[in-house]
Amino acid sequence: MTINATTKLLPEGYEALESFVPKWVKDTSAERMTERATSTMAEIQTFYNAILPLADDAMALIDNYPIDDMPDDIACLCKLVLALPQVAMAVELHGQPRLPNTPYPHGIELLRGTPPFG
Amino acid sequence: MNAKNPSIDLNNRGTLTEDAGLSTAPVPLEPYRSASFYAQEVDRVFKRAWLLMARVEELPEIGSYIVKDIPPCKVSVLITRSKNDKIQAFYNTCSHRGSKLTTENQGKKGRFVCPYHQWTYSNEGDLIGIPDQANFFDVDKKKCGLTPIATDTWEGWIFVNLQPQPEVTLERFLGPMKDYMANFKYPGADNPVVFKAKLDANWKVVSDAFIETYHIPCIHPQTIGTTFSSKLNPHARLLDARTLGPHQAVSMFGNADYTLDPKNKAEMLGHSGGEAGSVIAAANKEKAAEFIAHPAVNPTSSSYWSMDVNLIFPHIHIDCGPGGFWTHYFWPLSPNTSLYQGRFYMEPATTIRGRFLQEMYISRVADVILEDLVNVARTQEGIDTGGKQFMQLQDSEFGIRHSTTQIIKWVESDTVEDALS
Repeated sequence: MTINATTKLLPEGYEALESFVPKWVKDTSAERMTERATSTMAEIQTFYNAILPLADDAMALIDNYPIDDMPDDIACLCKLVLALPQVAMAVELHGQPRLPNTPYPHGIELLRGTPPFG
Repeated sequence: MNAKNPSIDLNNRGTLTEDAGLSTAPVPLEPYRSASFYAQEVDRVFKRAWLLMARVEELPEIGSYIVKDIPPCKVSVLITRSKNDKIQAFYNTCSHRGSKLTTENQGKKGRFVCPYHQWTYSNEGDLIGIPDQANFFDVDKKKCGLTPIATDTWEGWIFVNLQPQPEVTLERFLGPMKDYMANFKYPGADNPVVFKAKLDANWKVVSDAFIETYHIPCIHPQTIGTTFSSKLNPHARLLDARTLGPHQAVSMFGNADYTLDPKNKAEMLGHSGGEAGSVIAAANKEKAAEFIAHPAVNPTSSSYWSMDVNLIFPHIHIDCGPGGFWTHYFWPLSPNTSLYQGRFYMEPATTIRGRFLQEMYISRVADVILEDLVNVARTQEGIDTGGKQFMQLQDSEFGIRHSTTQIIKWVESDTVEDALS
């Protein structure tokens, strides 16, 4: 993705999330998984804290558009929202980026996801 | 699943193991580590049994093809859907000098061209082109088609058999499983989320870990522990288990009291406006309702049901849960390594909230697989020490006992008919 300073990446009202776009907007579930696994807990927690209070409204907004044909800014917001489940595993379940007592890299590959942005 | 049965008393009943006529004796560990047993297993099980390879949805139209490996037999299988809508498997091997024909895993093609010398085959396996044929010595094109592999389908599942003339039909091989799982309406069958992992454990160690719930409160306390056990059934005893020839069906307890934990805020968001449910469901209530209406899904009609494991001998689990179905493939690679593939089927989401729940499900599944990956490697290390000759199995480990007993029976049987008798 090229970041163009003159066009907004996210829809109005979501400016607070712009700084998370380069790191957390991914095209596939596999990339989201890798991003969480290779991030620090501070990075994960900061993103989680920022997106959690906005996620409900964001999903209501995204649902105004066809799920297979979103405008760019909505698609960007959608990908950001889809990163929440991954970081939530770290924050809400494990209290650390990865599953405790497991190796990394672990050799599990996600070969195919589900549309959109899987 | 018809009227729900709210009563549960798993303590005052006969054992599933004895009711099924299985032995209660300790089960040998040698099949989990021995190189000679492994070699026999490859020859007598994987080269004689019908092997479930794929679903028909992976070949959506005329001309579709897929390539699948049978790792223990070192066979690459090309499966095509040709113009008469015929699904047929072939060795993915050129008739010229034996080169691997196609290196792509899937696609749509009417003809296959070997990259080595461009010998060309139709998707019906006929050899249709030899460059500079005049320079060969009476090569008979009709005899040089792709070598077919015996192929049959059942309920949308594609099976192959590596015996040049299979000793038994697929129908005979499936036995009582054929009718038990007939007419399943598999939701999302064309949209699997696919995981793959190479594991440091014998394939049976991995299959065993996915067919018993005794371990769940111990190994998966955070990810799925509360789905499978509760004060009512703290050790996650099975609801039901039955043998179906070499195959079997195991029905697992589920915590009907499971509710969303408010500290799991992201999960709450996904469910807002919807109903709560098990963390191993993959959503879409309507299709799921039709699926779970089948009598072989939650076969005891229990209110305390989480999922069923249907083991298709030797190495496939077709699992059913409240949200649909998923499959596990456990392929042997060596006496103590294996290749795992999990295919979790789901209807494509129609709303972002549905998609969000799927992402939640996918991230949780990945962590559950990771928990099992570490656990099976530890199990194999212990087995490989040779310090123990037997494992002690309890009633909830019914599935392990039946599948290992069947593997040993196939290894010891001179004919497939003997193995099935």
